[in-house]
Amino acid sequence: MAGVNSPRQGAYTALAYVTLIVISIFCLLPFIWMALASVDSNAQLFLKWPDSWTFDNYIRVFAEENGVRWFANSLFTVLSATILVVIISGLGGYALSRSKAWWKQPFLYGILLIRVLPSTALLVPLYKILLTANNGMGALVRPWAGENYRAIMQMVGFIDGYLGLIIVLATGQLPLALWIMKVFFDGVPKDYEEAAILDGATLVQRIRRVLIPLALPGLAAAGLFAFMSAWGDFLLPLILLSSPELQTLPIGLFRAFLRINEIDYGLLAAIATIYLIPAVIAFSFARRFLVQTFSGGVKG
Amino acid sequence: MTTPMIQLSGVRKSFGAVGVIQGVDIEVEDGEFSVFVGPSGCGKSTLLRMIAGLESIDGGDLILNGQRINDVPPDQRGIAMVFQSYALYPHMTVAQNIGFSLDLKKVPKAEIAKEVRRVSELLQLSDLLNRRPAELSGGQRQRVAIGRAIIKRPRVILFDEPLSNLDAALRVQMRAELQKLHQELRPTIVYVTHDQVEAMTMATRIVVLNKGRVEQWDTPIELYNNPVNTFVAGFIGSPRMNLVAGSIVGNASTQHFKANAGWMVSMDGRSLAGVVGQQVTLGIRPEDIRPVASASEADMQASIAIVERLGAETYLNVRNGEDTLLVRAQGDLAMKSGETVQLAMNHAAFHLFDQSNNVIAA
Ligand SMILES: Nc1ncnc2c1ncn2[C@@H]1O[C@H](COP(=O)(O)OP(=O)(O)OP(=O)(O)O)[C@@H](O)[C@H]1O
Ligand SMILES: [Mg+2]
Repeated sequence: MAGVNSPRQGAYTALAYVTLIVISIFCLLPFIWMALASVDSNAQLFLKWPDSWTFDNYIRVFAEENGVRWFANSLFTVLSATILVVIISGLGGYALSRSKAWWKQPFLYGILLIRVLPSTALLVPLYKILLTANNGMGALVRPWAGENYRAIMQMVGFIDGYLGLIIVLATGQLPLALWIMKVFFDGVPKDYEEAAILDGATLVQRIRRVLIPLALPGLAAAGLFAFMSAWGDFLLPLILLSSPELQTLPIGLFRAFLRINEIDYGLLAAIATIYLIPAVIAFSFARRFLVQTFSGGVKG
Repeated sequence: MTTPMIQLSGVRKSFGAVGVIQGVDIEVEDGEFSVFVGPSGCGKSTLLRMIAGLESIDGGDLILNGQRINDVPPDQRGIAMVFQSYALYPHMTVAQNIGFSLDLKKVPKAEIAKEVRRVSELLQLSDLLNRRPAELSGGQRQRVAIGRAIIKRPRVILFDEPLSNLDAALRVQMRAELQKLHQELRPTIVYVTHDQVEAMTMATRIVVLNKGRVEQWDTPIELYNNPVNTFVAGFIGSPRMNLVAGSIVGNASTQHFKANAGWMVSMDGRSLAGVVGQQVTLGIRPEDIRPVASASEADMQASIAIVERLGAETYLNVRNGEDTLLVRAQGDLAMKSGETVQLAMNHAAFHLFDQSNNVIAA
């Protein structure tokens, strides 16, 4: 065996580092381009040092474009979907873990199918269903809404409305979240709840003071996965939203890219950077919980 | 006669079609340390959980201090339970874990702190109150779990194999601590274990369970001296009692036990005229057989299969024909396997069981 300090060992280490550095640069390059271009007064397609530093691109996203609105729309729909996913997967995962019903296994594999099938393939039937639901909702709203009809439908409509997008986004994220929570609760012994029952805890107290704290790492992991994945979803908002007021960030980015006149790389880079930031923040949170959740349940 | 603290009469429980508890009748006196023992799957935990209220009762009466509590919710029974897994909440400190039940009852903070202090002093946990369960050793967790039970000042504390997660040395220590605690606080304890040493050392009374039924229910030493059937005979006592199949031979005045393997031993001092000719099982504890020097003193002769020399005592695994007997001899005996040994038995310590495995009275 070669010693730790032998020249050969050193050469291998150096080689390993060089390889890793090359790979890192390769992966990071797009981000570096984006970051640099977004603060360049004269951004181009190729990677270059900014001619002069400026925050103009960012200002334009928020001042000239509808950046604030896009960002708010994205955040609102994705966060709502995430909250929905966390609540449903928390309750559902608990039920699926504790239940002995015969349909449990078929159900669990069934919902996984939603995840495995490409959502593009399901778009047409999905759109049909949502359209029908939307008409139903319209019939409910129209009699009393009067001139607010459009505004109300933008909130509760299934096509070109927040509610539809939120539900569809949440549905897409639920299978994985349910699995995460089911497996998580499998690792939480029933003894915790029974001890609480003997201590005189009511159902609400058991959920609030025992189950939720115990499930927190799992819920956080499920929620962050849902957030990151829904945040990155492009196709669904593109298909489901048409009003300019409802556009989300990825759609804004896409529309800016498609403008007829020449491509404004600085502006695109700025939008993309803004788009990335929540995902990065979510990921940095996620790391902490993921380790805890996937290294084996609750330790006590 | 005072009313017993816990009284079970005809208690039953089935999971689906399987009768797990099939009619149990026992009583536990106030302040008693009662131990349920039995092989794995015999229903010990289920019975304990029925007393706690965590399992419903399908039939019979569960009476606590004179009051039928079959349908009283678990938290209103005045019963606390210590779980095998301890079930300490990982997100709470030791103090919060111990005080949880009082906190749920909206007891004032100062009062809770006082009670937690009382309990933690009793259990030597005072220095650990701000730690979380993950930062405790096995024995400390065990004590926190006990603390969480006794802070409610329950009339009854149930333990389900509380020591099984501890190593051997710690188990001996916790056994002593539990006994001390019982002497200081005098709660009624029902304790489940399949370790019969735990049962023998701690219990004031032992309930031997088998397949959902009570086989025998008495003080440890009574169970040891007078097992009512072969199950209890084989279960209580370590190493286990030798059980030899055979029959009673003789006439109206003298009788012998004749093992199916061929050897015979006289059954002097017992009137067995009524069972002559019947198939029986002879029970003799390993400590009631000893090697002797001459054939004239001996009851039987056997060849040694295995010798275990422990210093203070020597275990001999001996064979006579089909029969294998375990002998527990005092002192260190320099014997070798393959040798022949003369064995004398303590005839007063014979247990005799009939064909349905029940004891034949002396
Ligand atoms: N919830 C349940 N559903 C179905 N069967 C059960 C359930 N709980 C226990 N049983 C069955 O009841 C029987 C008794 O179980 P129990 O847990 O009381 O045994 P035990 O004496 O405590 O055993 P051990 O020493 O292994 O803990 C077992 O055969 C078990 O399979
Ligand atoms: Mg058990």
